[in-house]
Amino acid sequence: MKRLVPNTTALMAFLFAAIPLAPAFAHTGTGVSLGLLSGFMHPLSGADHLVAMVAVGLWGAQLGNPAIWVLPVTFPLVMAVGGLLGVLGVPLPAVEPVIAVSGIALGLMVALSARPPLWVAAVMVGVFAIFHGYAHGRELPEAADAVAYAVGFVGATGLLHLSGILIGVLVGWEAGARVVRACGAAIGCVGVYFLLAAVGVIE
Amino acid sequence: MKRWLRLLAAAAALALAPTAAHAHLVDTRLGDFYSGALHPLTDLQQVLPWMALAVLAAFQGAQRARWIILVFPLALAVGGVASLYVPLPAFAPFLGLALVAVTGLAVAAAARLPLGVLLAIAVVMGLLHGAQNGAAMVATTDRVLFLSGMTAIGYGVITLATGSAIAFLHGAAWRPIALRAGGSWVAAVGIMVLGLNLVRPVAG
Repeated sequence: MKRLVPNTTALMAFLFAAIPLAPAFAHTGTGVSLGLLSGFMHPLSGADHLVAMVAVGLWGAQLGNPAIWVLPVTFPLVMAVGGLLGVLGVPLPAVEPVIAVSGIALGLMVALSARPPLWVAAVMVGVFAIFHGYAHGRELPEAADAVAYAVGFVGATGLLHLSGILIGVLVGWEAGARVVRACGAAIGCVGVYFLLAAVGVIE
Repeated sequence: MKRWLRLLAAAAALALAPTAAHAHLVDTRLGDFYSGALHPLTDLQQVLPWMALAVLAAFQGAQRARWIILVFPLALAVGGVASLYVPLPAFAPFLGLALVAVTGLAVAAAARLPLGVLLAIAVVMGLLHGAQNGAAMVATTDRVLFLSGMTAIGYGVITLATGSAIAFLHGAAWRPIALRAGGSWVAAVGIMVLGLNLVRPVAG
């Protein structure tokens, strides 16, 4: 019977971590939890944002050192610049089409397993980061709790990168590398769909 | 492995506890000590820079990090007492958000700071947050209990977070990167809400 309980510490850790979760979502009316939730869901609710952020992580994993660790540290900061523009109400042209294009471009890079110089990749990801941040930042002034909303969407974006990087660990195997490239191609297709939708070809 | 899970559990509990704590303090009936202890946790604006400060201290090594465990709670207490005599300055919300951005950026850069600078950040943050929490006391609040609770929670959180961060930093190369990424999240939040504060003042 003892073997069925593999690790009491793990069990305790899980329970311990789970306890505060339940009440956190019980009072949806209060500012912090509402802001946190809406911020966290914002990057996840739009498939164009979601796939582009996963693509960033996948590409980072393909590029390997040093991109894989430069990326998670610098991306949120560049995104914050975009968010700042959104908060300040600076008009930025064609935000939705550019976000769709970012999915296409990043998906293509992953599909081709492209290896440009680091600065080219950094500039490309940086420009897209500004547009993604702008789209989230525009909602910030309406948030129930600005700090909680920002924590939510920055955290969700970072976790999407992390999932991309973790999927990208597959590049260590030959078959896995193909799977990652296929993911890139799929992300490019989602980007095409959203681009067509953004310019009004698809309703 | 076990140590790992314990650390993870502690981190999760620390990270999740604040979201659960948004009770209306008037009705807690837990006594003013607990009101004081809960108040800093009801808002991410204070917990976030506390975590960043703890990680920043951890990056300076255990020898130096020790000092903030003493200095930060003392500054909190002094700030709380000061709030009884001096009104909150008008720049308090701005300073609070600037501290979020600055500590986050310093963690993202894994900056090696002179001990004086680290302690200066801890003192400014402690004084400000102590005063902000202290300002939340109402006429019927027992001031000694409230301020003791606030100082105790500041001591507890900063000690646990610094200790966990120092323990976490030992080992694989990705660990400092993970903490630096977390710092850049905090900095991003600070920068954006600071921008919002310039357009439309944020409460708190």
